[in-house]
Amino acid sequence: MLLFLMASGLTLIFSMMGVLNFAHASFFMLGAYFAYQISHHIGFWPGLIAAPILVGILGAAVERYALRPVHRFGHVAELLFTFGLAFVIEEVVQMIWGKVPVPYDVPASMNVTAFAWQGLDYSAYRIFMLLISVAIFVALFFGLTKTRIGLIIRAALTHPHMVASLGHDVPKVFMWTFGVGCALAGVAGVIGGNVLGTEPGMAIQLGPIVFVVIVVGGLGSLGGALIASLLIGILNNMAIAYDFSFYPIFTALGVEREAEGVLGDLVGLTTGAIAPLMPYLLLVLMLIFRPRGLFGTRDV
Amino acid sequence: MIMPGAKQISVGALLVALMIILPLIVNSGFALTIMSQGGVAIIFALAFNMLLGQGGMLSFGHAVYFGLAGYVTAHVLNGMANGDLPYLPVSLIPLVGGLAGLFFGILIGFVSTRRAGTAFAMISLGFAELATALTLIIIFFFNGEEGVQTDRWVREEWFGITYGPDIQVYYLIAVWCVIASIAMYALTHTPFGRMSNAVRDNPERVQFIGYNTHRVRWLAFSLSSFFAGLAGALHAVNLEHVGFETVGLAQSAVILIMVYIGGTGHFAGPILGAILITLLNAYLSDISPAWFLYLGLIFVLMVMFAPGGLAGLIMMHEPIRRTAPHLFMRMLPAYAAALGTSLVALVGGIGLIEMAYFLSTTVSQKTVFTLYGITLDAADFWPWLVCVVLAAGGGFACSRTYPRLAESYGWAMHEARAAVAS
Amino acid sequence: MTYAIEFRGVEKSFGNTEVIRGVDLAIEQGEIHAVIGPNGAGKSTLFNLITGRYHVSRGRIELNGENITNRTPYQVYRKGLSRSFQVTNIFARMSVYENVRCGVLWSLGYRYSFWQFVNRRRDLQERTESILAQTGLTSRRHVPAGLLSYSDQRALEIAVTIAGGANVVLLDEPTSGMSSSETEQAVALIRDISATRTMVIVEHDMGVVFDLADRISVLVYGKVIATGTPEEIRANAAVQEAYLGTKAA
Repeated sequence: MLLFLMASGLTLIFSMMGVLNFAHASFFMLGAYFAYQISHHIGFWPGLIAAPILVGILGAAVERYALRPVHRFGHVAELLFTFGLAFVIEEVVQMIWGKVPVPYDVPASMNVTAFAWQGLDYSAYRIFMLLISVAIFVALFFGLTKTRIGLIIRAALTHPHMVASLGHDVPKVFMWTFGVGCALAGVAGVIGGNVLGTEPGMAIQLGPIVFVVIVVGGLGSLGGALIASLLIGILNNMAIAYDFSFYPIFTALGVEREAEGVLGDLVGLTTGAIAPLMPYLLLVLMLIFRPRGLFGTRDV
Repeated sequence: MIMPGAKQISVGALLVALMIILPLIVNSGFALTIMSQGGVAIIFALAFNMLLGQGGMLSFGHAVYFGLAGYVTAHVLNGMANGDLPYLPVSLIPLVGGLAGLFFGILIGFVSTRRAGTAFAMISLGFAELATALTLIIIFFFNGEEGVQTDRWVREEWFGITYGPDIQVYYLIAVWCVIASIAMYALTHTPFGRMSNAVRDNPERVQFIGYNTHRVRWLAFSLSSFFAGLAGALHAVNLEHVGFETVGLAQSAVILIMVYIGGTGHFAGPILGAILITLLNAYLSDISPAWFLYLGLIFVLMVMFAPGGLAGLIMMHEPIRRTAPHLFMRMLPAYAAALGTSLVALVGGIGLIEMAYFLSTTVSQKTVFTLYGITLDAADFWPWLVCVVLAAGGGFACSRTYPRLAESYGWAMHEARAAVAS
Repeated sequence: MTYAIEFRGVEKSFGNTEVIRGVDLAIEQGEIHAVIGPNGAGKSTLFNLITGRYHVSRGRIELNGENITNRTPYQVYRKGLSRSFQVTNIFARMSVYENVRCGVLWSLGYRYSFWQFVNRRRDLQERTESILAQTGLTSRRHVPAGLLSYSDQRALEIAVTIAGGANVVLLDEPTSGMSSSETEQAVALIRDISATRTMVIVEHDMGVVFDLADRISVLVYGKVIATGTPEEIRANAAVQEAYLGTKAA
């Protein structure tokens, strides 16, 4: 679910502006940290509202004052800029809050088990996370399909130049899009930071996976982002939870358990062990064979 | 790129002479380590720029070839030591690394280079993450988190060299650095090198003059991986240990930053960047915990305002130097003013950052530390005030001095052009 | 004799939009053949189809008798056909000299060589110099291409196009955006290079067309409505109706 929130923001930014926001996960991190600060002093619920807004404003400011001048140097330069931005944000976060994880916790009111299913406990908080994500997805869906600005955004998803030619104030739309995209990442940070742990390394952990999601789902497609994030999330969880061993395949091929060398390593593999690999394998395969992704309307 | 004229050759010769003499003058072990690291970085940086500056391909995963070659080299050294592999003089080991890099570069490059731009960057990212994950899974080859240990002393070679002492390793690196640099420079003057530039500038047009864009890119990628592997081998020999971080994103990021800050548009840019960042990293990372932040900020500012890097900034003044060097005196006031205001702003800004770092990372409750040699208490109000004033004031002043600097430059360029025309 | 280029039943649609609706056209060896027609008629698409930038939806294209339908641009180039672009499409960061030299490389057999030095090769040098001389760019050889004046850039565009010695050359609106004196120069250049080559030119400037062309084809709505000598075309009623207009009564 977190993946979807972040992926939707990134899709919006990438599809609208052609900028692959390397720093997207950094805004996710900022959301978590802001929420921590606010919840520390005021409370969780105000943080839920305020933190994403702050992140969004920060994002819009970054677009307006920093990213915009880089536009004219081309996509590679923009990518380099957002890459540098990610670097700087991580360092700044370390500077302000230190390297140790901060105690951003799930509010006590929701830290209870709602129900159990198939041997796994589901806490009320996770339900809450799910609900928020669904609510945002629904809001995005209606916002994009029923409103005028939504129409413009959808048009810009596939034909950005046309939209500019039609007279819309593209710079302002860009600024707001970037802001909203970052705010979405911020929301993910707010609701996810207390579960995953809020520390400076969280951006680099989640960042690449979000890229995988939007590439696999297809660029320019929010629905694709949803499906891909579900897919990757489920695959990941299943791989770890069920932990299939590859051993049977190898024995079928006549390989011994005590095999030497590389084979020895591979024989002992389980899906849990290679779970970290899978998204990137998917990314590489997708980019090579079907750069449009599953539902994409545009090539990368 | 211009063919080496007398000037380039003499500058090159000077640098080589410097490389040879320096360790004899500077006699500390620490300095030797830095110089060795710098040599490796130069090769890696030049290799990376074959892709970025000359080929127009941004890769976040070039360390994969650097690291994989390092691992291969470590295993080969171990293999030679216990007799499993035939003997090869350690002096020639970097070639093994190069071949390893080439091998993986050809394979991975074939699929990566089918796409360009952002897609290429993302594929490279994917492979970097894949490689990192693999190092922790395939224990046999990568030995997981421990990494692979090796010993560079295998047998005595010609002239009694054993590569036991650090200084011998330094000269090994220096020699290969010179060879690799010359080789990569030569490559830019070949048909391949030219077409690589053409692909960078206009990949579509290249097809209409008979070249398969993919082939050109693939070749560039492969050759670049060869040299990255060469660097990786020297890295392994130097440190006698290869860990999983050598294939990862962080390592790739470091080289990217080095090359970009040095300057992608000129051959010597990466060399400049490699030397500078290696030096700064060695000396500054001890002085300040904020070193990476400064590096990141410099990088971002360069992307925004000086995309040609340091080499670009220097070469921007080349036309003036060539035709009307006396103009530099006239430019001096504007440049000095900009420098002055920048320093003021920097003093303030660095102060703020250092204090913030100190407060957040200090374990105990103490708040007193030294900044610029002045002992002060970071919990006090007034150091912050001073720094804010300096930073804000300096920043404001910069907004006045930098346009003047640009004007001065523009005027000088105009005069220089006029001098040529007349 | 084999035609330089032959279109047989070529059709091209983008999705549901038919752009080329069935073109049968034969370009004779050594002639200067102009293709004219209203905007959107599909002239540039025709060029893109020949050179392999687009694939045909149906039909067949032959170059000197050899089937080149749907080949890649570099394959078509290697068979001896080269094209210029309407929007100048050169290597902006390289000098004029280096631009032309890149155009020469393949034809002299250098392929992807990374062991030979371009500055040492006499044949490269001579060939590049001769192209520069022919297109009048010798005095500007060291200027970065991005800094050239517009008409110099157009000249460079043509220089790069003919550098490889292609004997069938497609020029896409070579005089677009030029003043009348620049156009005169361009026409002289085109006439010069056409001496040994087959040329197909897309043009809007009727003066240039009637001045240069041996034969003209008129493309309207994706179909060739007439092919013939300039006099025949001028007198053709259908062409007048569709494109040229009739004399004021």
